[in-house]
Amino acid sequence: MKIDCHSHVNGRRQNWGWDHNDRLIDAADKLGIDKLCCSIPIMSGMPKPDEIEICNDDVLECMRRYPDRILGYCFVNPGYVNESITEIERCVIKHGMMGIKLYNQFKCSDSIVYPIVEKAIEFGIPILEHAGYITDPEQALSQPKLSHAGDFASLAEKYPEAMLIEAHIGGGGDWEWAIKSLRHSPNVYLDTSGSVIDEGIIEIAVRELGADRLVFGTDMTMEGGVGKVLAAKLTESQRESIFWKNMQIILDKKRV
Amino acid sequence: MIIDINAYIGHWPFRQLRHNTPDGLLRLMDKNGIDKAMVSSINAIFYRNSHAGNEELSDWMKAHRDRFIPFATLNPRYAEWKEDLKQCHEEYGMIGVRMFPHYHNYKLFKDEGLEMIDFATEMDMVISIPIRMEDRRQRHWLDNVSDLPLSDVESAMRACPEASFIILNGRGFEGSSLFKDENLKNKNFLIDISRLSVVLQREIPKLIELTGISKIAFGTGIPFNYPTPSLLKVQILDASEQDKEALLWRNALGMIES
Repeated sequence: MKIDCHSHVNGRRQNWGWDHNDRLIDAADKLGIDKLCCSIPIMSGMPKPDEIEICNDDVLECMRRYPDRILGYCFVNPGYVNESITEIERCVIKHGMMGIKLYNQFKCSDSIVYPIVEKAIEFGIPILEHAGYITDPEQALSQPKLSHAGDFASLAEKYPEAMLIEAHIGGGGDWEWAIKSLRHSPNVYLDTSGSVIDEGIIEIAVRELGADRLVFGTDMTMEGGVGKVLAAKLTESQRESIFWKNMQIILDKKRV
Repeated sequence: MIIDINAYIGHWPFRQLRHNTPDGLLRLMDKNGIDKAMVSSINAIFYRNSHAGNEELSDWMKAHRDRFIPFATLNPRYAEWKEDLKQCHEEYGMIGVRMFPHYHNYKLFKDEGLEMIDFATEMDMVISIPIRMEDRRQRHWLDNVSDLPLSDVESAMRACPEASFIILNGRGFEGSSLFKDENLKNKNFLIDISRLSVVLQREIPKLIELTGISKIAFGTGIPFNYPTPSLLKVQILDASEQDKEALLWRNALGMIES
């Protein structure tokens, strides 16, 4: 059993490089992934509520098309606080989405994000946020409000009841820095996704944080995402926790 | 049989590697069913005198020549590199040279770069070129090196038509001249699958559609990377057993025996 906590589907505003969302299901079938938690974030600028609604509607369409396979995150821009809360209520209560997706419009520790975190706590749902500690100055410049593990730690301390998932340990720069920064933040989970498949990354994360704080993800690097968890020297119980149990525990906490 | 065309031994200064000794790498290969690996010295990338790394590698290889296929690492801007390369080939039995123009500060397709490719080709050595060693997003503050542009490799291939190339840790091939330009796609080259996908973006199937299986070979990037992702790619690739054999070892063997 595998639950991919970090995936994406194509929509009207975003094509990730495949021709039809059936390809995502085919890929999941080939790699033994049972469920994919998907979103369509807008990755630049300050997207407006009507643009965001289109993205979330396209995720909802996929949830309807593949009801046993696709779960949805509601993407919002915290810069539009009231509209974000309304959109979360629409997507989660009315249409059954499982979580909230934030991108790089604001650092997660910015107070503008607090109402969204409080809504996630109220609903018992996780927040998956794009993240990274980019050490290459040129690349770091392109995402000035990218949240890093220290920002997550700070938010987690303020909201210990929140379930925060820091995205793609393998796609967010210096992963050793990220892992160490989260040692004392028990309500921050790390998602294993990303194109970086550095040998040892999973074992080091387990050693520092424990297997209960890692959730399997691909972020569309499908073979790498599955392969790194299969390759890691873990007990079968730890591997199961990472592949699906930890995410299932998170999903089961939903209250609405 | 599996031949990994993308493996290394030694110390990477910016992250602690595991399985990076000869015995460690062999254990990792055994665990993953990898029979042979083309290896070069990581140390040699960083030593001012790279050849000291080749000497170390030669010593390490002595007991394991049945499993490792050693490649030299040299800087064509350093003193007496030709003598060193000759020694690597004739005395140490190295069948190719890995070139790191981005770490050694020269252009692959100009002067020193072309001189090394030509000199190695005269000795029937294969030219192996890693496009990158690590993802730039996590680079160490002292590792101020960008990925090698694929166009640099293409220019070198045009300038040295007789040379044989192995391109490692690359991606973005399907739109490149390498697979579109008739002159280039008929050259003797291989790319490894370590950063390419079978599903979703389908880079490997698309490349097979363009040129057949003959230009693609199994590579992992061990001990930098986990080997399992590349093994999974072969497992889920929709291809004949014959094509999978070509990818897993025949193409690699063909390259070093040609």
